[in-house]
Amino acid sequence: MKKIERKDFLKLGAGAVAGGLSGWVFSGSPFMAFQWLAEWTQDQYVPVKGLEKYVEAVSDSCPNGCKVSVRMIGERAVKIESKEGVCPACQNALQMLYHPERIGMPLKLDGAKGSGKYVPVKWDVALKDISSRMNKLISEGKGNAIAAINKNESLNGQLMEKFIKAAGSNNVYYEASLKSITSATLGGFINYDFANTDYVLSFGAKLVEGWNSSVDMQKVFTNWKAKGTKIVQADTVCTMTASHANEWVPVKPGTEAVLAFGIANYLITSKKMTSSGDEFAKWSQLIINKFPLAKVATFTGVKEDVIKKIADEFSKAKNPVAVAGKGGAGVSASSAEIIAVYCLNTLVKSKAATLMKNSAVTYTGDVAGVDALIKDGKFSMLFLNNANPVYKSALGEDLKKKMEKAFVVSINPIMNDSAAYADYILPSLSYLEAVTPSNKEVVKKFKESKDAKDIIIALAKAVDKTKNTFSFSDGIDSYKIAGKDSATGGKFSFNVDKVKNVIDAIEKKLAQNAEYPLAMVPVEVPLVGDGDGLAFPYVLKSIDPKVMLYNDMYVQINRDTAKKYSISEGESLVIKSARGKLGKVYATLTDTVAPDTVAIPLGFGHKNFTKYGSGKGVNPKTIMAADVDPLTGTADWWSTRVKIS
Amino acid sequence: MIVKDVKMKRRWGMAIDLDKCTGCGKCSLACNQENNMPIFEDDSDVPKRVAFLELMKLTNDRDAKFPNVKTAYLPKMCQQCEGNKQGKHPAEPPCVTVCPAVATDRGDDGVVSQIWSRCIGCRYCQTACPYEARAFNWWKPEYEGSFKNSLSTDVSVASRGTIVKCTFCSHIWKRERDKAVAAGKLDINDVLYTPACVNTCPTGAMVFGDLNDPDSEVSKLANSDRAVRLTNVIDDIKDPAKKKALMDKKQFPNPKVYYLTSQKWLRDMMRFNPRNDAAKKNS
Repeated sequence: MKKIERKDFLKLGAGAVAGGLSGWVFSGSPFMAFQWLAEWTQDQYVPVKGLEKYVEAVSDSCPNGCKVSVRMIGERAVKIESKEGVCPACQNALQMLYHPERIGMPLKLDGAKGSGKYVPVKWDVALKDISSRMNKLISEGKGNAIAAINKNESLNGQLMEKFIKAAGSNNVYYEASLKSITSATLGGFINYDFANTDYVLSFGAKLVEGWNSSVDMQKVFTNWKAKGTKIVQADTVCTMTASHANEWVPVKPGTEAVLAFGIANYLITSKKMTSSGDEFAKWSQLIINKFPLAKVATFTGVKEDVIKKIADEFSKAKNPVAVAGKGGAGVSASSAEIIAVYCLNTLVKSKAATLMKNSAVTYTGDVAGVDALIKDGKFSMLFLNNANPVYKSALGEDLKKKMEKAFVVSINPIMNDSAAYADYILPSLSYLEAVTPSNKEVVKKFKESKDAKDIIIALAKAVDKTKNTFSFSDGIDSYKIAGKDSATGGKFSFNVDKVKNVIDAIEKKLAQNAEYPLAMVPVEVPLVGDGDGLAFPYVLKSIDPKVMLYNDMYVQINRDTAKKYSISEGESLVIKSARGKLGKVYATLTDTVAPDTVAIPLGFGHKNFTKYGSGKGVNPKTIMAADVDPLTGTADWWSTRVKIS
Repeated sequence: MIVKDVKMKRRWGMAIDLDKCTGCGKCSLACNQENNMPIFEDDSDVPKRVAFLELMKLTNDRDAKFPNVKTAYLPKMCQQCEGNKQGKHPAEPPCVTVCPAVATDRGDDGVVSQIWSRCIGCRYCQTACPYEARAFNWWKPEYEGSFKNSLSTDVSVASRGTIVKCTFCSHIWKRERDKAVAAGKLDINDVLYTPACVNTCPTGAMVFGDLNDPDSEVSKLANSDRAVRLTNVIDDIKDPAKKKALMDKKQFPNPKVYYLTSQKWLRDMMRFNPRNDAAKKNS
């Protein structure tokens, strides 16, 4: 046998290693390892499989009562569809339902207000604490110091109203909405018969941007387009409604009311038209004296003959209707404006506008409305029913201070700017977890959260004075006592004594102002609305980079105005009003905005609205006009005098 | 039972009436929901954002002065290009021709599909696309916590480093086909479907259907005078002979999404027509 040399030995070894290596390579395992490495680094998530089914649901928390069909995979809701139409919030309800920052247990404040320090407590502990404080207030005869602010007039809002009134308080308010401010001014909200109108005169109402009821208005709009209904829009910014209108009347900022005065003046003096409202004679005298057409033309920037032409067309149309109320989500209007626009309907005897009342919602409190409560109201206990007045009210900062001194209970599913100042946060549900008479819950309740209706009923049962307010203990039975809408049948009043002051204030606001030469008006961004959408990533995804980019917010300024103040595209700005100044915003130049106007996006600048919604841009309402209207009880913030530097 | 020799009759297309669109944004919400759009820490961060449908706000304010301005919203998604099949060099859509991994392809039903996991992340298709319809996952989609519960099993979750795009919700068609097969209907051409965005559109501005069927609403709209395709200037040539000659010489993506409008400024804007054109009209 040949002796194995050292060299051969090494060769054999090398051969074995090479063979092994090539075998390993050809076995495919290194490629498997690469694949594994790729999978591990990419960490791809695979959604959990399950059986598909569709479950019907009705929204109990939005005023539209959206009817939807939810696509389920096993127990998970994955898609919301609707045949009848659905509002954006209900369409996006999955992001609320599965929000990672849902509150799952009642939370008790454990630190200073606004510190965000909360500890979870049991439901009975929270209810006992809240009810004993209420009992104490009521027994001391201070029942009226209990106040409540509802987000809207949905069933849980109605229950809240019943509960607070039964506790002996008159202080139930609704966040500013078309219904609430119109009802406070006219004694009823307006039901519009848009299907049968042939002429729509809108005073800045963002008809297609969500105004009134977004689901209904989209249908109405389609119908108008098909029928050829004439839409005339008075607006300061080229909004979608203005762009879709047959005629856009560009008015100077904040002068929509003055245009209505002018048209009313012309119809009364030249066409001898009269309104059936109380104090009409007094009001018409005031308008005729104060707002001759020439003056209206200077204020609004609309030529006299254009005003006459619109008035003529409006009065000659078969079934004309005039509408007020401004924003799609951020509603703001002065009582003078609401009355003047409604007056136009009564002048032409429009059949398309009827005053309505809900049997369960009164809109009457010790003060006129939610901002009046913040300004003048005295409360030592406050319930917030899904409302976020700290963010939405122009007087939010003042409310914060009052909330620091009061005992506050907030009912809401995710944290918001107002709940951050509450002593107790009681977690409520998204509509997909709620039971309605026609539908079961789509998805099981999140942890220990409860239906807002059940929370309010349980609160009422726990308080001595209100324990018999509700004859039932299950929220599902409350549908039996749901309020019904019916025509008021009554006359509205021009309320001249109060409205006179509002008209004077409008005139003062519009007068030349050397210190604050510009006007700031809000613009609404799709899906963001008045800020409710900002906590949800799928809403953030839709935001135009010309509105917000890297948390920097852009305000729109007319090109000529920008030139006048030597502002270039993208330049940072400081906006100041008599109330204070806004944080840094940036300029984007566009001719869709009237000269001498700054158009600022609404809905941004939340301080505390989950990690998705907080700290993005600025909230313009902090410096917007905050004079509380004596009739609507809310601030007419739509147009504010500002300066930029 | 195996069905043999079924010829695809469908050619899916979409028509979007911009004169009816109110910019409500629900198409974008529905799309995000249906297609498991990635959720990042901050989705307002535009370069990082991944979305199939972009709600573009358009105005003519470069050419017109206040108040002679107009605004419109244009829901922009993958235009589902057909490619240019005639001429010396028949071509697939721009994105398909450049893909080195066969991750994207145009199906016989006309849908330009993409297999997320086959993508190697070279981003050639993103560069080639004339409509910026493709999005790249620069980061890993997060779907923080319980957001994962809302994910559909029909659309796979893309991983970091891959391109994703609108597929006309073709998984919904598959769903419908599966249902039809379960019901005993085996002909693929019997099954219709509606993508999520079209399904939720409240004003009927979006219409979806078969462009091969001359009676379908979408083909009627696509052939109307109001129809205009994004940047597809070939549509302006009315003479068929001239059109063919030009098609032979030059490549056109031939999208299957038709926008409808009677507003001249919008048509000009969608064609990148020179500014002065629109300015003349508006002055």
